[in-house]
Amino acid sequence: MEARVFEIINTVLSNRSKPKISSLKSEMDLRNDLGMDSLDLAELTVRIEAEYDVDIFEDGIVRTVGEVLKKI
Amino acid sequence: MNIVITGVSKGLGLYLCKILLEKSYNVFGISRSKTIELEDLMSMYPDSFKWLNYNLNNTDNIRQDIFKNWIGFDIPIHGLVNNAATAYDDIITNLDIDSLEQMFTVNVFASMILTKFAIRHMLLHNIKGSIVHISSISVHTGYKGLSMYAATKGALEAFSKNVAREWGEIGIRSNCLVAGFMETEMSSTLTNEQKNRIYNRTALKKSVEINSVAETIEFLISQKSNSITGQNINVDSGTI
Repeated sequence: MEARVFEIINTVLSNRSKPKISSLKSEMDLRNDLGMDSLDLAELTVRIEAEYDVDIFEDGIVRTVGEVLKKI
Repeated sequence: MNIVITGVSKGLGLYLCKILLEKSYNVFGISRSKTIELEDLMSMYPDSFKWLNYNLNNTDNIRQDIFKNWIGFDIPIHGLVNNAATAYDDIITNLDIDSLEQMFTVNVFASMILTKFAIRHMLLHNIKGSIVHISSISVHTGYKGLSMYAATKGALEAFSKNVAREWGEIGIRSNCLVAGFMETEMSSTLTNEQKNRIYNRTALKKSVEINSVAETIEFLISQKSNSITGQNINVDSGTI
């Protein structure tokens, strides 16, 4: 699952022409470390939702990779 | 191109389906009732026209029933036409809150939720899609008895402009088609005298042709309008 989330995050980053990440750490902050803005987070949400049927932002703000993984 | 259209059982929605199907679009049509005309269209285009019986009063199941179970996350959506609307017309001193809330639910809230999930669908497939909301000239020119209806359409226009700003950098567009009075069921409660008064306020002095409205919607949905977003396009016989 972690490997798949890693792929999804890099898909979102490359769709917006942002630098991909080489490894995934649970303490990484989606905005500050990965450089995602609100529109990137929206795309991340729908890509995760399509695979895991979970809306990661449905009940509150998710800040880190670890928090995303916990929701799935 | 796959287009979702609401309110397809009659009037403009039905006509728009016909135009788009003729132009080889795939249409996902939604309505709460099935008319003979709709059935005819379904049998003419069994492959490219899909229909769902859904009442947009029910805003809770839009994601599940429409986007997940019916369209499916594998099918890309290129356009959404928020056409479904109910008309509760009365002078404001007679305002009934239940009727008003019901109209806002269908005309405004359902349209907003459909937009939410259409954009999410577009993000999933990297589609630079187009959303068209059907508004009304009553937003811009006052008519007795239409204040509440006009308020729902004014809300949609404000929503559309801000959605356009929000999603423009992704390439997703949002526009309003501001329709004047057409000879459809929506305006069937008006008397001939009322209609003539309305038509006399237009440059062309006549009702708006449904074909002109539908062709303009097709233009806004298509890539021919790629540089147009956040706009209100009037098709109203020149109400000036």
